[in-house]
Amino acid sequence: MLLPKFDYHQPRDVAEACRLLAELGPAARVIAGGTDLLVNLKHGRLRPKALVGLERLQELTGLETGRGRLFIGARNTAAHLAASRSLGGGLKFLAQAAGCLGSPQVRNRATIGGNLCTARPAADLPPALLCLGARLLLDGHQGSREVALSQFFQGPGLTTLAPAEVLRGVVVPRPGPGCGGGYIKLGLRRAMEISLVNVAAYLELAADGRRIAQAQVALGAVAPTPILSPRAAKALMGQTAGDKTFAAAAEAAAKDARPIDDHRGSAAYRREMVRVLTRRALQQAWEQARGGRGGKK
Amino acid sequence: MSSHQINLIVNGVAHEVLVPANRTLAQLLREDLGLTGTKQGCGEGDCGSCTVLLDGEPVNSCLVLALQAHGHKVLTIEGLSQGRELHPIQQAFVEQGAVQCGFCTPGMILSAKALLDKTKRPSQEQIRKALSGNLCRCTGYQKIVEAVSEASRRLSRERS
Repeated sequence: MLLPKFDYHQPRDVAEACRLLAELGPAARVIAGGTDLLVNLKHGRLRPKALVGLERLQELTGLETGRGRLFIGARNTAAHLAASRSLGGGLKFLAQAAGCLGSPQVRNRATIGGNLCTARPAADLPPALLCLGARLLLDGHQGSREVALSQFFQGPGLTTLAPAEVLRGVVVPRPGPGCGGGYIKLGLRRAMEISLVNVAAYLELAADGRRIAQAQVALGAVAPTPILSPRAAKALMGQTAGDKTFAAAAEAAAKDARPIDDHRGSAAYRREMVRVLTRRALQQAWEQARGGRGGKK
Repeated sequence: MSSHQINLIVNGVAHEVLVPANRTLAQLLREDLGLTGTKQGCGEGDCGSCTVLLDGEPVNSCLVLALQAHGHKVLTIEGLSQGRELHPIQQAFVEQGAVQCGFCTPGMILSAKALLDKTKRPSQEQIRKALSGNLCRCTGYQKIVEAVSEASRRLSRERS
């Protein structure tokens, strides 16, 4: 398959990138790993006149903690995140999610920035990030701003990213001890798959190690965007961790899901799988949260 | 359309090439450098037949722009053998019956090499995961997995 013709620009920093994007207008597209964009170009779904490569932008690299927040540069690849020791403990489920994306070859190119900005409902990274209360750092011609990830997705392929704006990175609060997450991706096969349903769950245990102090459940591929499940969170907060609580939360999560029938599966099946996966993801989160308290079980 | 002067190292040899912006690494390797061991299957990053190692990591060269390889190192299947002497992974594939039509083979071997460079004695699960981006229509994968396992045994004997 052949690529259409385009000009390729290689700005040296974010300011130059934003300037270029402003000049070139909607006929220009940003490219990082290219594992989604180039496929769209080959299929003729997109016909940009110009691509703006991000490979020189140092501001988009980095995986570092500062002031209790972890900054994840937009250019970090899924492979890098999957293997990163910076994503341990309460952040481990984000690394696990990154490890589910595509295939090894795709993970070596695909970036967290791309996974967020392409805004597919079934994307692998948003659910864990939603659970963590991630915020996005956006740089534009006019300056920088920070937005909550929960406000970022507008629909399949649609975000609140402004024209000529670049995603610099994501920040998540660093979880303390007694925190843990789980992520499960369900597909028809075990790799190179787009989720039929995916679920991320996150728990913060209270000092007694049993009561749930904070909780979030996020769902993918069952709504026009990745979503948090407020009903599941409500069913978990203040409750005692354990299967009975998790089963109730799973029922609640199924109520927040708004799946459709498509060629991958029916809405009814997806809703049922939300139930199953939420329960299992909460179990994973609980194990991780308990493992984080004073060493191995 | 813009053209770009790029420098890259392919199988240990430095190349300087002028490429149009829309040339993929797969096209550069096959058509400009004559290295046709890298295959074009699906052209969209699903089948893995175009797999090469970019700075030691497997990528789908059909989804890498040639100009993005500027300043980087590429290993193709041709870079694995030393003259007429096959790399242990290649040897294992031949001996274990892991090659039928051979189309997926270069990609499989390079994905396996990347795995074995990092993991001395991978489990079957690890091997299957490492090869999960490489499709084979002929073998049913079993012999391929056994070949990688056998190669890992030979390589760890060589290295110890």
